[in-house]
Amino acid sequence: MPTSNRQAVLRRLEAEALAIRRNIWRALRAGGSGHMGGSLSAADLLAALYFRFLRVRPDEPDWPDRDRFVLSKGHANAALGAVLVRAGFCDESLLDRFYGYESPFGMHPDITLAGVEMSTGGLGHGLSVGLGMALGARLQGRDFRTVVMIGDGELQEGSNWEAAMAAAHHGTSALTAIVDYNKVQQSGHVDAMLGIEPLADKWAAFGWEVREVDGHDMERIVTALDALPCSDSRPTVIIAHTVKGKGTSFAEDSYLWHSTMVPDDVYRRAMAELGGEP
Amino acid sequence: MSAGHDDLSARFQGQSRLAFGAAVTDLAGQDPRVVALSADTVDLIGLRQLMQDSPDRVLETGIAEQNTMGIASGLATVGMRPHVCGYAPFITARSMEQLRNDVAYARQPVVIGAACSGIALGVSGGTHHAVEDLALMRAMPNMTVLVPADPMEAYLLTIAAADRDGPVYVRLGGRVPEPPVTPPGARLEIGRAQVLENGSDVTVIACGCLVTEALAAARDCAASGLSVRVINMHSIKPLDSDAVLAAAAETGRIVTAEEHRLPGGLGSAVAELLARRHPVPMRFVALPDSFAVVGPTDQVRARYGLTAAAIAGACRELVD
Repeated sequence: MPTSNRQAVLRRLEAEALAIRRNIWRALRAGGSGHMGGSLSAADLLAALYFRFLRVRPDEPDWPDRDRFVLSKGHANAALGAVLVRAGFCDESLLDRFYGYESPFGMHPDITLAGVEMSTGGLGHGLSVGLGMALGARLQGRDFRTVVMIGDGELQEGSNWEAAMAAAHHGTSALTAIVDYNKVQQSGHVDAMLGIEPLADKWAAFGWEVREVDGHDMERIVTALDALPCSDSRPTVIIAHTVKGKGTSFAEDSYLWHSTMVPDDVYRRAMAELGGEP
Repeated sequence: MSAGHDDLSARFQGQSRLAFGAAVTDLAGQDPRVVALSADTVDLIGLRQLMQDSPDRVLETGIAEQNTMGIASGLATVGMRPHVCGYAPFITARSMEQLRNDVAYARQPVVIGAACSGIALGVSGGTHHAVEDLALMRAMPNMTVLVPADPMEAYLLTIAAADRDGPVYVRLGGRVPEPPVTPPGARLEIGRAQVLENGSDVTVIACGCLVTEALAAARDCAASGLSVRVINMHSIKPLDSDAVLAAAAETGRIVTAEEHRLPGGLGSAVAELLARRHPVPMRFVALPDSFAVVGPTDQVRARYGLTAAAIAGACRELVD
């Protein structure tokens, strides 16, 4: 791709990431509270996935050959709703129904909402489910890819490592895990709670291709995604180093903003920093 | 599936766990969506032949039940019909959250074959007894819960389960004898109990291995002039409420019998229905709310009264 085109693509993806961040705060404001930290850290990754990588059809969400995306860190559902709205899976008004009575858009993803591939929320589930999707693709002779986004604190759940072992054993190269490594979980920094380092070495030892990127550097994200699959026989994990609460300075890198209330003044501060209309 | 009763029985070797494997093998031969997942239980369930003939139809997932259940859910989302095989104590309790979230909540058509249920693994002790599995599965919305009484019923119900819109739990035996109770040519329907003996004084509603004991109890009672109806309630959920209500109305007394702890099992299901719709005196033959002792299955069953004698005693107690 000519440099100028690539730059244009990157700028467009960055603009989408900004719009996703605004949508996150809009949803959280509608809900009155929620998981801003881990939603905002994932915004750039989600922009690159939905507007660059994933082959999906928002007007045909059940298209059998679509790529699958599973948000294993389901508490970041505000981010998923934010990007699904941007991608055209559902109307923007969905954001104003966050936590609403009988809303398909609650704190955690629900499979009944168009574009949501699996109900998640209990941590440590998505990688196994994604592995099942990837194995299903192989059994059916389909070439769709499966991407699972996992939180860093979530990796404390042992079931992830069952899935990691199995994915490598079965050689599911069409499966990609993305770790949103924002270093912070509900009660503190991950390394102070139950450390997961050496993280890259762990995945490599389990038989995965490992790539590390700055999860807020769109060029690095796109380069990593464009290189998938990294192997014909091994799954790939992209460890994305991110910042909890990225984009709203007052919420960055603090467990206090893992999940909390969103009164009007917080919403206004956030939107002021993101250049949006409150 | 067109094979005769005797030909089928020969394949099961008298074991419901092997009947499940035979059913999955036959289903896989007809439906390219059918895939079996084994948590290190290929031989336990009788899937070795299918694995050799069609390696891609049997997915060995190792001793990792949480992952097995999650994979099954993922396979179902792309249109496959997964059949998960495992040891009853582990495939239920170990993967409970995956069962609830990924399978039941997401309403996936996953069929679970749970071998060595109840106290089939008596000598293995409390870690290996699966005697709360029915309570766990009954409490799960969208779940169908089946307890075959013998291998033939396990085969036929597993075939029937393939058409269910949602997850199905099939409770299977281990290596202890499972005497046949299903007559040749029986037509089974999920949610429809079988009345094996007609009777007018009291009804025994039993499931699994206790059906054989209930039939023996009915014969014993008949000898002393007590007319006992015997119902094989192979479908715990949905429960055949018509059969239960008819029994309550026509015999006025109900005994339930199951190889399961009392809280949450067949007896609870029947009592929940009758308390609302037609209260009658009841007795429960079930394991107590404690961990069972270690021992050979027949001796452990006898210790806790999972016997024809105990069922007959409960029937007489209700009539006296």
